[in-house]
Amino acid sequence: MASFIKETQSIKEAVTFINAIDENKFSRLISRIIQKLHLKGERTFSEEEEEKLQAALSLNKQALSLVLETAAFILEQAVYHNVKPTSLQQQLEGVHLNPDKAEVFSQTWASSGPELVEKLKHNTFAPKKLEYVGWQLNLQMAQSSQARLKSPSAVLQLGLRNEDSEVQENVFVDFNHQELLDLYNKLEIVQGQLDSLT
Amino acid sequence: MSASHTKDSSFLGGRIPPEIDSMSKNLKDVDQELFRKILKAVVSALEGKDCREVMKSIAESSTIPQERLSHIVAGMYRVLSEAIRIPTSSLKQEAFREDLKELRIPEDFITDFASVVFGNRRAALDAATSRNDPHLPTLEDFKWRVDVAISTSSLARALQPSVLMQMKLSDGSFHRFEVPVSKFQELRYNVALILKEMNDLEKRNILKIQD
Repeated sequence: MASFIKETQSIKEAVTFINAIDENKFSRLISRIIQKLHLKGERTFSEEEEEKLQAALSLNKQALSLVLETAAFILEQAVYHNVKPTSLQQQLEGVHLNPDKAEVFSQTWASSGPELVEKLKHNTFAPKKLEYVGWQLNLQMAQSSQARLKSPSAVLQLGLRNEDSEVQENVFVDFNHQELLDLYNKLEIVQGQLDSLT
Repeated sequence: MSASHTKDSSFLGGRIPPEIDSMSKNLKDVDQELFRKILKAVVSALEGKDCREVMKSIAESSTIPQERLSHIVAGMYRVLSEAIRIPTSSLKQEAFREDLKELRIPEDFITDFASVVFGNRRAALDAATSRNDPHLPTLEDFKWRVDVAISTSSLARALQPSVLMQMKLSDGSFHRFEVPVSKFQELRYNVALILKEMNDLEKRNILKIQD
């Protein structure tokens, strides 16, 4: 496939820095980056951690920034094109990354890549996602306006989570037998549509 | 139930409510036209409509003093509200009429009462009164969409189906959310499970016993 890593000026610079990093440290760095890649808008490293990294890798603030961004970019491109590990390694060596560093990238990609692709497939733009389904079946015996009811009613609890929050919003909906049957029939139609896709 | 059984108690319970008691004492001065006017207003009130204007005009056009009129209206309201609380499967017209006869309510008025309780507007009346009862919101509108994401900014080839749902509830709230396919299966399974449990529940004998 066509190379998606072009040897731009910033890539050249980043490569120089990366090549100088100790292999073990680099391996741990790339593993950490790929773990957090699916979280949009979240920093991979806290400010404190970045300061420690600067010392550990003997890089100043800008250099570290460049290294982290470039590593993330390489991995994002790998995900986007769903590249094969060997192809990735070749492309990286093509921009003069040392073979040992290129191997770190391709090995990490080979082991953690598929999981990352799955996670990203499930990332969507929808503001809320259904995360939890719970229910309760009640037998209503009476209410203010009606005695001797004995009518079954179900309460469906839908736990919705906003993409950028940890808090789950609970929506409670009440159904009598007919209403629940109507819902079920509609869900069956949706299922039919999903089945027709495969 | 046969007419020759011993009725244990009136549909009004063991003790007759005071307003019904005083109503029956005052009904003898009421002619059918006035009775029907009041009945119409009382039914309106049960349905939740504002009846102040109607009641005012009834009070003004009648010769009956206001205090006695208020006893009559209160009594009629109570009779009807107690009667419609009980499902028609439990309270039969015969029993209802007998109970009212025992309160010495004139036969014509009993017929008028019965036409409200057992007539074809009963269902609408029930629906109107139960609207005020506490309940969790119900589903008023349900819309859905099945999407397949072909490509995203993170993946050139995603090919991931997902379901988008939109629910409008009876309390006015609106929820739009995505349902991953696995969660959709869970939802569908659970709804089917509740339906099965409901069916089992409805078949059980305890629900068939008439009370």
